[in-house]
Amino acid sequence: MSKKSELLSRRTYLQGTGISLALPWFETFAVGKPRTDETPKRFVSIYHPDGVGLPLKNDPAWTDWSWFPRGRDKDFQLTKVLDVLEPLRGDITIYSGLSHPVARKVHGHSNADQYLTGAPIGGHGPYKNTISLDQAYAETIDSFTRHSSLVMSTNGGVGGPRGAQTQSFNREGRPVPALNKPKQIFDMLFVTSGKDAAGRLARSKSALDLLIENTRSLERQLSKRDQETLNQYLHAVRDTELKLVKAQKWIDTPTPKVDTRNLHLDADPKEARLYFQTMYELIYLAFLSDSTRVATFQLGRENGGGPHDLLSRAVGLGDAHHLTHEVKKPGGWKNLGTYNRYQAEEFGRFVQKLKDTQEPNGKGNMLDNTFAMHGSASSSFHLSRNYPIISAGGKNLGFNNGRYLKFGKGNEDNQAGAGIDTDAGWQGKVEVEELPLSKLFVTILQRLGVETNSFGGITGSLTL
Amino acid sequence: MNALKLTILLIVVSAAAILAADVQITPITLEAAKEQGRAKSRFFKETKAPIDGTNAIPKANVAYFQKSVMPILKKSCINCHGPKKSEGRLRIDQLNPDLLTGPDVEQWREIYNALSNSEMPPPDELSYALANTDRGGMVDWLSEELNKASLIRRNTKEHSSFRRMTKYEYDYALQDLLGLPHSLANKLPPESVTEDGFKNSSELLQISSMQFEAYRDIALKALKRATVNVGARPEAVTYIISMKQEMEKAAAIKDTKEAAKGKKNPRNLKNQQHLLDQQTNESLPFPEVKFAPKANAVAGQTPPVSPVVLVLPSSSELKLDLDRFLPDEGIMRVRIRAGRSTMNPNEYSSLRLMLSAHTSNDANFSQVISQRDIPVTAPATNPQFIHFDIPLSDIQRNPFRKLATTYPRRDEFLHIQNISNASKGDERLHVLIDTIEISAPFYEQWPPKTHTNIFVESANKGNDEVYGREVLNRFLRNAWRRPITSQEVDQFMVLFAKYRPGFSTFEDAMVEVLATALAAPDFLYLTQRVPTDKTKPASISELELASRLSIFLWSSIPDDELLKLAEQGTLRKPEVLSGQVKRMLLDPRSRRFSQNFVEQWLGLDGLNSVTHIPEPLKDAIYEEPIAFFEEVLKQNRSIMDFIHSDYAVVNEKLAAHYGIAKVYGPHFRKVPITAQTNRGGILTGAAILAMNSDGHDSNPLKRGVWMLKRVLNDPPPPPPPNVPEVDLTNPEILKMTLKERIADHRNKAACISCHAKIDPWGIAFENYDAFGVFRTSIKNKPVDATSELLNHQTLNGVDGVKRYLLTDRQDQFSRAMAHKLTAYALGRPLSFGDRADIDSLTAQLRKHDDKLGDLISLIISSNLFNSN
Repeated sequence: MSKKSELLSRRTYLQGTGISLALPWFETFAVGKPRTDETPKRFVSIYHPDGVGLPLKNDPAWTDWSWFPRGRDKDFQLTKVLDVLEPLRGDITIYSGLSHPVARKVHGHSNADQYLTGAPIGGHGPYKNTISLDQAYAETIDSFTRHSSLVMSTNGGVGGPRGAQTQSFNREGRPVPALNKPKQIFDMLFVTSGKDAAGRLARSKSALDLLIENTRSLERQLSKRDQETLNQYLHAVRDTELKLVKAQKWIDTPTPKVDTRNLHLDADPKEARLYFQTMYELIYLAFLSDSTRVATFQLGRENGGGPHDLLSRAVGLGDAHHLTHEVKKPGGWKNLGTYNRYQAEEFGRFVQKLKDTQEPNGKGNMLDNTFAMHGSASSSFHLSRNYPIISAGGKNLGFNNGRYLKFGKGNEDNQAGAGIDTDAGWQGKVEVEELPLSKLFVTILQRLGVETNSFGGITGSLTL
Repeated sequence: MNALKLTILLIVVSAAAILAADVQITPITLEAAKEQGRAKSRFFKETKAPIDGTNAIPKANVAYFQKSVMPILKKSCINCHGPKKSEGRLRIDQLNPDLLTGPDVEQWREIYNALSNSEMPPPDELSYALANTDRGGMVDWLSEELNKASLIRRNTKEHSSFRRMTKYEYDYALQDLLGLPHSLANKLPPESVTEDGFKNSSELLQISSMQFEAYRDIALKALKRATVNVGARPEAVTYIISMKQEMEKAAAIKDTKEAAKGKKNPRNLKNQQHLLDQQTNESLPFPEVKFAPKANAVAGQTPPVSPVVLVLPSSSELKLDLDRFLPDEGIMRVRIRAGRSTMNPNEYSSLRLMLSAHTSNDANFSQVISQRDIPVTAPATNPQFIHFDIPLSDIQRNPFRKLATTYPRRDEFLHIQNISNASKGDERLHVLIDTIEISAPFYEQWPPKTHTNIFVESANKGNDEVYGREVLNRFLRNAWRRPITSQEVDQFMVLFAKYRPGFSTFEDAMVEVLATALAAPDFLYLTQRVPTDKTKPASISELELASRLSIFLWSSIPDDELLKLAEQGTLRKPEVLSGQVKRMLLDPRSRRFSQNFVEQWLGLDGLNSVTHIPEPLKDAIYEEPIAFFEEVLKQNRSIMDFIHSDYAVVNEKLAAHYGIAKVYGPHFRKVPITAQTNRGGILTGAAILAMNSDGHDSNPLKRGVWMLKRVLNDPPPPPPPNVPEVDLTNPEILKMTLKERIADHRNKAACISCHAKIDPWGIAFENYDAFGVFRTSIKNKPVDATSELLNHQTLNGVDGVKRYLLTDRQDQFSRAMAHKLTAYALGRPLSFGDRADIDSLTAQLRKHDDKLGDLISLIISSNLFNSN
């Protein structure tokens, strides 16, 4: 068999056809088999637009307000931007030198769309995206939880092509709409009765019953061999029935009771601190109750506009997007750094909470079983390179923290994306060597238990 | 230095060879080769009675083997394929000479191929050479035994055409059933492809639960699109853009600007879109304004023709800011009254629509939303309306159009583009437009026909029970392609009764029920029931024949006429059947057959991964073989035209690529060509040459494999595992020409046996580069496109290939065509067991002068097509 498939692949290569597309589809969509280990493996991604502040080394602001730490590996010093994470030093990893190769010359304003997908979406013309990291994981654990994923953003919805307001894209490359109202999210997670869903489910069940009956009567009129072919159809219907049974199970199971003390369900991004903390708290509660194991949260959209820009009010500053365009004004780097610092602070609070909570049905604390990622798809000046990424947790998944990992070559000081210091530089020549971010994604998927060796068109993983 | 000498020597030698050839004899024309080759066909010489399924069970002729075959094998074959050596892992001495019951049929088939193509014994092994009579005797014996074995297999091994529809068939079936003109099945995954390139093969058409769920979703979505909430006709949003009014706006803007600037700012508008008053000859740029729908506007009117027009020169566009008023769903009809400024028949102009939006600074999206360009044919003096129907929910819309805030931008832009071949110059062709109307949702009639096709007019409307049965009966019969029993209707009525309370209207509940019927195997599968009367041969029913026919020729389900004939039991009558086949081939739906068959036969998917050819040319290149096939089919010409023809089927773009002069316009048509064009047939089509290249240069290996697989139906064995790759880091190898590199690779022991069979076919195409352009030199060296087949036949470039195929391989090619078309028609791979049938089909095809149209009819009336 192995010989045959090898020959096939050579043939396919020679022929240049898309034969290889079809089979993996089935495999990917196979109904998830129950796992033996019961400890949930979780993934969460926080995205913030506009990148971070990266003054050049000769700028007086460099010492305090350059986002990336000094040093490397276990020996690193956080600047003022990330010093709020010092108490969690042993639980986090900071990465530099990673980016999506296909986006390196695309303006950062278009880039939220491809942060978790790595798709070559470009900057104009027809648009096509591919599945995002979170959804690629979610589809493999679909049946374990009530919700396969929790997709949130401050602006809500899907945004537009190259103006995404969600990090999540499904298998067909279509955006998964994000929720942005705390009350709505809370109701979905912990209140909804599922009346509509129950009605739909009942109808589906009757339809499947009819189809099975109909198939049985056709079967009797077929030859033996054709019956075998038809059997495959029956299997497909049966698998669908099983899914309905699972869905029914969730409808019959009462929604979990959670501690609502830290929730401010009417919070609006204008009340940035309350809003931020409530949204993080909702992810925390969703994880704690095992309502889902996958979450994404996008802080607004690229190119400003809408509620995201108000989040910087939490630290008494003006619109967030403007901060990135005003870095060269007096105090500009400090202002942007202060806002980035605030983002890190809220992320740190969420991470700390996971760390302080014993895993309800498994080993260690919740953070040990969660890979939490915080990042952006541009460094400074909307340059789509050297993404600033922090991860936390995942000890039980195989992640070793307390490190600053520098990848690539030629930008050891993390000069605002290879020395570029204006907004005009986004199309500049790629002179610095960086590694594909999708390699980190492959590592993440593998450690979450997904058998794959490639993601977003990139093969291979990172050695961490 | 040595290499240089060698090259010079080679040039001298090849030049001498050409001279010598010229002096000797002028080779016969390809047309003469067609005649000569035809006369050689073995299918005309067959005298023995055709082997028939009703004859007595055939027996193996082992006696003849012992007496006449074995001695020859011993003399000429067993030294290399026996106990001493077993070349190609073949030991003839151990093969069972009983092909009918023995296990070695496949090996015997290989031997038969090698002997009949004179590939074995190796021509240079003179001591093993075969006398023609010996070879003939063995080939005859093998041919007869193989045929008998095939017949035996046929009665023991079951083949089946029972399969689900392919993605594209399902899509067409849904469109035809519901009367929806747009693709609906994008959600389904692409199909796998068999070794011979077919996507409709029963062996590979699997189904998963995910796919099953997709069928249910798609069906419900399609049904909802086909039906409406009967009641008041929905208010349409209608924009009416009259160029006369725009001229007034433009003049006002101009006045304000001029007043502000205090001076005139004349612009040269010649090559850009602009407004023109044909009476005063005044022209102004189209005003940059937002448009809003007109209240109480009635769509579909024909206002008087205005002298004020929009001039749209070639390759220019009009960008209309439609603000944010287009509805989410429904058809948007764009009516444009347009005419041509000049009527030069060599120039054309077509209109194309695009929609765009700005979703961010530095980012936008745009998408062509019209399915095809629509030509403007009326003169400007008498402009005519052309229209586009665009399904608004299927295209990428601006998701920000509903925001309460003004940022990001909420507008949607409609672009009207003039796609034209008009040359520059004062007298060049422009499109003149005097009015544009955009209306959505647009309905031709109310309620729409797609709705009344399902919810038919009936006196019983209002009586849910009786009317429900009427709707179901009709719908199920059309979808399931057979009469429906009352028990079956009962089942669906039970479902309806369960659903009804959950919905406010009869229609809403019924649509959900109908969606279930479209997820049933009776819709999704091409069924073939076992006849209840076991005494008759297992042939498919008339109804199943109707479906098989429509899937074959329309890639879809049968229409009412076919179903009626099948229900009456008259479809199989020869005169009825041939009349239907004729009708089906004349129907526009038969275009799907040409497209799908040719795509799969030639493997045109390979062109999708070609990146070195720009888009508009690539489209033309892709289309050519399909248009060529249609030409051969519609004119019922000989399939030998695929090998060579004295015409090409091209459009302007492709003609320019091939250097054929005076072809104008985007449509494909037949044009005569000369030998100097170096085209004709499909082998030299740019599609084949480009996809079998590596993106920079030709790839003789790919081209050779392609020839063997696709044209000769003699696929080479797959490469063995662990073959050494060509080491491109080796400087010696880098210095070689491609042909030398291949020769070097071929000379490795592991590779020689296969490559000797493959490479010569590809090398003969070396005169064509990666774009399929003819060339006479490569890197300043003359092209060497001569090669030698395993049987020592020399192929002198493509002309040589064509000549050889036409003179000596017509039988093989016609059999290959019969095989490929039958495999496609049956939707299953053919196996050894079908050999006798294919032979008999081929013999009939040859007797019908190899006509493609006749082949289709022969297949349709064959036993294979009519049996289970």
